[in-house]
Amino acid sequence: MSKFSKPAVVKPIRHTSLWTRIKQSKYLYLIILPGMLQLIVFSYFPMTGIQLAFKKYNATHGIWGSTWVGLKNFRRIFITPAAVKAIINTLEISFSRIAIEFIPPIALAILLNEIPDGRFRKGLQTIYTFPHFLSWVIVAVVVKNFFTYSGGINELRIIFGLDRVNYLSSKDFFRPLLYFSDIWKESGWGTIIYLAAIAAVDPTLYEAAQIDGANRWQQTWHVTLPGIKEIIIINLILGIGGVMNAGFDQIFNLTNSSVTSVSQIIDTYVYDITFKATADYGFSTAVGLFKSVINMLLLFVANFAAKHMLGSGIFSR
Amino acid sequence: MQNNPKKQKKKRHSGQQIIIALFLLLWGCAIFIPFWNAIVISFMSKSQYNTHTAALIPYGFNIGNYEHLINAGGLLNSYLNTAIIVICGTACSLLFTTMLAYGFSKPFPGRKLFFSMMLFTMFFGGGMLPTYLNLKSLGLLGTRTAIILMFSLSGFHVIIMKNSFENSPREMEEAAKIDGANDLMIFLRVLLPLQSPMLAAIGLFTAVGYWNEWFWSSLVINKMELLPISVFLRNAVSSATTQINFGGVNFSSPENQKNVFTLGISMATLVFTMLPVMCVYPFLQKYFAKGVLTGAVKM
Repeated sequence: MSKFSKPAVVKPIRHTSLWTRIKQSKYLYLIILPGMLQLIVFSYFPMTGIQLAFKKYNATHGIWGSTWVGLKNFRRIFITPAAVKAIINTLEISFSRIAIEFIPPIALAILLNEIPDGRFRKGLQTIYTFPHFLSWVIVAVVVKNFFTYSGGINELRIIFGLDRVNYLSSKDFFRPLLYFSDIWKESGWGTIIYLAAIAAVDPTLYEAAQIDGANRWQQTWHVTLPGIKEIIIINLILGIGGVMNAGFDQIFNLTNSSVTSVSQIIDTYVYDITFKATADYGFSTAVGLFKSVINMLLLFVANFAAKHMLGSGIFSR
Repeated sequence: MQNNPKKQKKKRHSGQQIIIALFLLLWGCAIFIPFWNAIVISFMSKSQYNTHTAALIPYGFNIGNYEHLINAGGLLNSYLNTAIIVICGTACSLLFTTMLAYGFSKPFPGRKLFFSMMLFTMFFGGGMLPTYLNLKSLGLLGTRTAIILMFSLSGFHVIIMKNSFENSPREMEEAAKIDGANDLMIFLRVLLPLQSPMLAAIGLFTAVGYWNEWFWSSLVINKMELLPISVFLRNAVSSATTQINFGGVNFSSPENQKNVFTLGISMATLVFTMLPVMCVYPFLQKYFAKGVLTGAVKM
């Protein structure tokens, strides 16, 4: 080879050994120690308890001493009607949620955007986002009180000459109540991201549309919505990643014994069977593990899809 | 309706805008009214409620329910417990988060491994029972420490902070190194102060999370004196475990006894639980919004 084909830059040769680099970074190991300890003690230690899913728990032998039963607990999931119903409910509720609840924040953001930025708009936003900061324990009390037989909504019905309806214990009304109260609680918070996205849409596109004779609604449909399409899709994808969750906090606080057949999700089911006197710890751990694994798979799919869309995933840059 | 561009130049609002404003106002009322309803009930007496169950207009300022609540005790204590959990929890969380974030922002052997360990916990966990049994074997059942520690690390926050550290200007760090500062001083005096808006936002979110935590608190803490206010509220409104229900003990003065009613007491408890959030929230709202946007952008 002629000397002109060699690169002009001298390639650096690594002299630093692994051990040297470790010694150089000793303070860094120290600084991540507390956080890693927390992770290990509170996230990784419990993972050893997962072995219960493959065992028949015996209180006297403890977790480590109980006998292995392989996949028996998992097989049992699919022959237990209550468990199967919980899985079906979870999927039904989650997908309904995704379909129904993603629209209001977008609609609200679009409407809010029409109001000039000022005290009025900020005041509205303050009211809208307030319920997001309360826990479902609080909001469930407010919702239940309002929808109870003698509560506000029913009083309104009386005024309009309608009969009272028992919303809370009705199987037909429970899920709509679920979706509506979640929209009521969370859509204000959701508008924050959408408002920012709407503000980021190129104003010249609106001018162009206006010149072409589009009115405000046409502009919204043809300029705004396509402009925030990416954010909408990301949110939907993230929603799919959370399908196995279906809103434990909300359902736990709103449900009662008359509506269990439509409200029982995997998490509430696990709670019910775990903290009873005759609980089979192996079985309930198995249900939980089943859910966690599917959840993890869904998150991977969601992350992959988001990466495809954005160029970066949800967990890494 | 066509929006006349000329009209927009003037300050006058179009008919469309007014309709939209009215609709938004209506939605604002829809949010406001159920809370108002609860507040009004809390200030009613039993007889007032029985005649006016709609309870949208206050009929007086009856504080009987509140008297009963305060006399029954446990309220102030729960506030204290929540405050302890929130303050200690947020402090721990900020500590762990910033330290991990800073560490992960620097290259060192094993960084990828440890970072992946953290990532893994973000989408897989032991589950309800193993987590509970773990707390049991750590001897943390029945303590507030369990709650403080178990929620003290959020992978999302670490990632956001890590990105923030990585984006901070190198020159400041190098200048400090030249001045002779060691790694710890660089961290504390130079880099951390740069992150204060981020810290404020993350701290706020963490604090709200701790404030609202009720599930594990109700599972882990069984002593009445240690319950945070979220669980106190749950107990107050669930008929099964009401400790202030006057089926048993009556905490009101004799004249008050006939004015007080269960729903009123529940609503009074609710107001107490919401009060701190209602007072603090409007002032902090912009930090929350900013935090959400920064977090979203960084992702």
